[in-house]
Amino acid sequence: MANLKDIRDRIKSVRSIQKVTKAMKMVAAAKMRKAQGRMEQARPYTHRLTEVIHHLLPDVDRELLPLLDIREIQRVGYIVVASDRGLAGSFNTNVLKKAQQEIDEIGKQNVDLFCIGKKTRDHFKRRDYNIIQSHIEFWNDLDFPHAMKMGEGIISHFINGEVDEIHVVYNEFVNVATQSIQSERLLPLEYGDEDTMTHIDRLYEPSKEKLVRSLIPRHLNIQMWKYLLESYASEQAARMVAMENATDNAEDMIKDLSLEFNKARQASITKEMLEIVSGAEALK
Amino acid sequence: MSTFNLDIVTPTRNLDEMVVSYVRCPGLDGSFGIMANHQEGIFSLDIGEIMIKTNSETKYYSTSGGFAEIANDGVCILVETVESASAIDISRAEAALQRARDRKSSSDKENLDQLRLASALSRALIRLRVAKK
Repeated sequence: MANLKDIRDRIKSVRSIQKVTKAMKMVAAAKMRKAQGRMEQARPYTHRLTEVIHHLLPDVDRELLPLLDIREIQRVGYIVVASDRGLAGSFNTNVLKKAQQEIDEIGKQNVDLFCIGKKTRDHFKRRDYNIIQSHIEFWNDLDFPHAMKMGEGIISHFINGEVDEIHVVYNEFVNVATQSIQSERLLPLEYGDEDTMTHIDRLYEPSKEKLVRSLIPRHLNIQMWKYLLESYASEQAARMVAMENATDNAEDMIKDLSLEFNKARQASITKEMLEIVSGAEALK
Repeated sequence: MSTFNLDIVTPTRNLDEMVVSYVRCPGLDGSFGIMANHQEGIFSLDIGEIMIKTNSETKYYSTSGGFAEIANDGVCILVETVESASAIDISRAEAALQRARDRKSSSDKENLDQLRLASALSRALIRLRVAKK
């Protein structure tokens, strides 16, 4: 049986770890709530914009706009969104695994990577993938201009013809306990379902083409913003759950250790009493 | 005067829905006004000021562009940023203006992104103009 001091020290260290995990859980919960609020605020804008674009797209000649251009696929761009920090359960592992699997199917020499989050960059850098851009250490002051900046870089890469398609892999926030990994095609844009559209007699100013031309970059920026928000909220939710589990596990450990401690303490008392009794016996 | 509903929506926040009688927006080919019962349509907006008239007051906002959707049940303005006259940080706008002017007069003409410079300049100027109203 371990001696008393060792057990006491272990209980102490587990308890202090528990304090840390508990604090991290509360921080993650607060950040998650904030992120959820922002997602809800962004939704009306995204919704309206998508609606308008879907109205306009079928009437526009694809040739006019490089961003709508459907080309034969030779090279593919991948945007992988993960976090800067770990300790969030399987949040990073799962999204990176999924991304790597998809990329390996195409062949890693044919894929250009845009890494968002330190974990993504480190993961793919270590494995020698072809990284074009990485965006790291912005999550703490996440703001719309970040999304615009990323959007610009990605759009120009597509327009320059470096890649013929762009995919995004990210965590979608379903609820606190669930994040689902999504893989979507960002570019070239797809048409909406044409059958469900209603044609309304509307004024377009300037022309439809010019409208689409100015709307599509905005649409892509807002998509990027959505991916960032979803991923951020998921990250915080995953961390919250992971830290909650860690706190519970620490509690269990403390219980077990306390039991062991008490047993050891009793054993030592019994031993001492035996010694006293047998000492007294010997004096007789 | 007859009124209509106006929504101003940005990616990061929604202004409260307003009941207004007149809106003036910065279109790509100059400002245009919207009153109740306007024909439906979609209009691109440039960097500029949005003026809103309700029956009791007139408000000014600065914006960095977007578009306006006019439907029969109201108007929705979707822009990337919007700031009301009272929310504009004048010293920040002045600093931005100064930066843009410095860049304009800098000797490094070749690496100058004219388009970006022009939009930075006009954004700062509009902010200051709206803030002083």
